Amino acid sequence: MSHIWPIGGGKGGTGKSFVTGSLGILLAKHGYRTLLIDIDFGTANLHTVLGIPHPEKSISDFVNKKVGTLEEIVVTTSIPNLYFISSAMNNLDIANFAHEQKMKLLRSIAKLPYEYILLDLGAGTSFNTIDFFMISNSGILVTTSEPTSIENIYRLIRSVYFRKICQVLNVHNFRLLVEEAKRKDSRATESNPDLLLYIMKEADPERGKIIEQILRDFDFKLVLNQLRKQDDPNIGMLICKIIERHLALKMHFVGNISFDDQVHNSICKKIPFLHIYPYTQTASDIRRCYENILALKETRSFVQDILV
Amino acid sequence: MKPYQKQNHYELLELSPDASPLEIRRAYKNAFELYKDESFASYSFFPPEERKEILSRLEEAYLILINPVSRAEYDSKMIETGILEEGTQYCHKAKDPISIYDIRETHSDLLAPRRQPEHLKQIVSQNPLIQEIMAQDTLTGADLTTIRTELGVSLEKIAEVTNVRIAVLHAIEEDALELFPPMVYLKGFLRSYARYLQVDENIIINGYIKRIEK
Repeated sequence: MSHIWPIGGGKGGTGKSFVTGSLGILLAKHGYRTLLIDIDFGTANLHTVLGIPHPEKSISDFVNKKVGTLEEIVVTTSIPNLYFISSAMNNLDIANFAHEQKMKLLRSIAKLPYEYILLDLGAGTSFNTIDFFMISNSGILVTTSEPTSIENIYRLIRSVYFRKICQVLNVHNFRLLVEEAKRKDSRATESNPDLLLYIMKEADPERGKIIEQILRDFDFKLVLNQLRKQDDPNIGMLICKIIERHLALKMHFVGNISFDDQVHNSICKKIPFLHIYPYTQTASDIRRCYENILALKETRSFVQDILV
Repeated sequence: MKPYQKQNHYELLELSPDASPLEIRRAYKNAFELYKDESFASYSFFPPEERKEILSRLEEAYLILINPVSRAEYDSKMIETGILEEGTQYCHKAKDPISIYDIRETHSDLLAPRRQPEHLKQIVSQNPLIQEIMAQDTLTGADLTTIRTELGVSLEKIAEVTNVRIAVLHAIEEDALELFPPMVYLKGFLRSYARYLQVDENIIINGYIKRIEK
């Protein structure tokens, strides 16, 4: 089975596509058959980061049933072992997906025969984005050290938390349990999931345990991108600590990536950053993050759960 | 894990019950940095009331634990309720003076990566193959490669940490004499190599150079 790494982060402009592209290139270079999929359906960019200005096929073709399988819209890249599904030429109405189409796409992605599949997610916390983020347990979050970006990380994580609880309990039971928890302790609201879960476990040990198990299955990773010299290098570690302590989720910090103006240059030139600036601090930071993520790679696909 | 709201003072500050006053102070300082109003890391995570509550609970925990009298009282209450086991609490003992060279060790910060992996030393002392190679009179590049692979260290890693070019390291391991740097540099490179692997640098340098001089 392939390892699926969804890469998200809530806020736009933090470097999700940049990180996805760079990790993909490194995986391919190390001989892994790797597929990158641009899940940012409406405002796709990944093709540009990879230096493929005009991909011939796109997800639209699959969703609109122009082709039968996802395999048919995979395009090759100039890098051996690196394959790509683009959203560049999508129809303009594609961002508004029907539920059925999304499920079909999720299922098809999970079945693709590649060693690594990286999903470049869009900004925001819409169900479409969240569901792709939850396709496996090894989501990678990208943030910068700015408060705007950090707060969106927390939003995204909480959205995942609740989407998962809702999926297990179904909406009605979820509401009931929340009500009951609130009666027992006024502080146990939706914004306090750890206390909520604790009370739910007391009220209904069996279900509480199931949810706890599922949440413990997640193994998120955090990349702190665009770290400036004057920033606190420990901030990523602290974000992970807050999430582990207060949301009882596993969250690994995989590294800082230094800010570098040359990233801008490489995107303007439409050449992958790792190819033209391989000796920069930023490039070695990316390689370190890559190694750290690979060392943690235990991946489990969640598609089966989503389909239930 | 217990939710934050139900944790005792030690759990709140992430301390073990036998923590020393110095550790308590440091733990409080770190926790305060994380939860204070201006903290970036917890920004927007807590509503203002909750943040205030956490900070006041941290302060309460700190004030009780830092005062020996109130701490003893708190500990005995915890022992009564069975949360804490008798004998696990902190007791002030006079310590022997420590060597000044140890001072840095006690400050070791979890967030700062160590340049040299401590665990290698242990493997070196326990691995019979490495011991055997180290006992030889002369060493070949292949011997070095064996030591390195036994330790599970990649050439890239050594190159990265020691800043010795990977081509040079490769030449050393392959005994590619024609690619060698001048002797004085070669010695330095062998030293960095040995130091990173935590093996005796003199044995490596002498053994290797003795052989190529033959």
